[in-house]
Amino acid sequence: MITVALLAFAFAGLCGVYRLLKGPSLPDRIMALDLLLTSLMGAVVIDAVRRQDTSYLVLPVVLAIIGFTATVAAARFVEDEERFGSGAVNR
Amino acid sequence: MTVVAHFLLVFGGLLAVVAGVGAVRFSTSYARIHAAGIASPISFLVAGLGGIIELDLVGAGYIVIAALAMLVTLPIGAHLLCRAVHRATDNAHLRIDDLTAAEHRREPNET
Repeated sequence: MITVALLAFAFAGLCGVYRLLKGPSLPDRIMALDLLLTSLMGAVVIDAVRRQDTSYLVLPVVLAIIGFTATVAAARFVEDEERFGSGAVNR
Repeated sequence: MTVVAHFLLVFGGLLAVVAGVGAVRFSTSYARIHAAGIASPISFLVAGLGGIIELDLVGAGYIVIAALAMLVTLPIGAHLLCRAVHRATDNAHLRIDDLTAAEHRREPNET
């Protein structure tokens, strides 16, 4: 049963990779990466339950903080397009 | 492994599948960011709840901290992303657009 849950989180990661490659605009790609991070966090929790070992459970905490910081930084970059002027955002 | 924990873990996985399918299938950028930004933390919460039941106190503590950190931070990221999309694209497809109306009512010098 646990492998079903792991496969489900892997599928969510695959959807994130698909959206990352295809995503028309930059914010889509940022959210795809965030989806990847979240599914990785869930997979780590499920793996910790499967092995009854809590040593790796620090990883979701770190990923939650880092994922948020990266999303906010990237969103600020996408938003102030005229100040940074990189043209990354297709109008 | 109790039945409840099994069910919670698999249900968290299903919610992650919902988040993934939502991120892929939706047409507009807003809907995709909304799907990924809302369904994925809930999938982590449900899977974490299954984990809390199973693991000892240390593991449960880590999961609770991660869940709290995610609950506080991910909505802010999703909100900022949606605002970035709103400013970056010409929202012609939006039937009801309150943000543009609100922005016009503000004084021009206010950021």
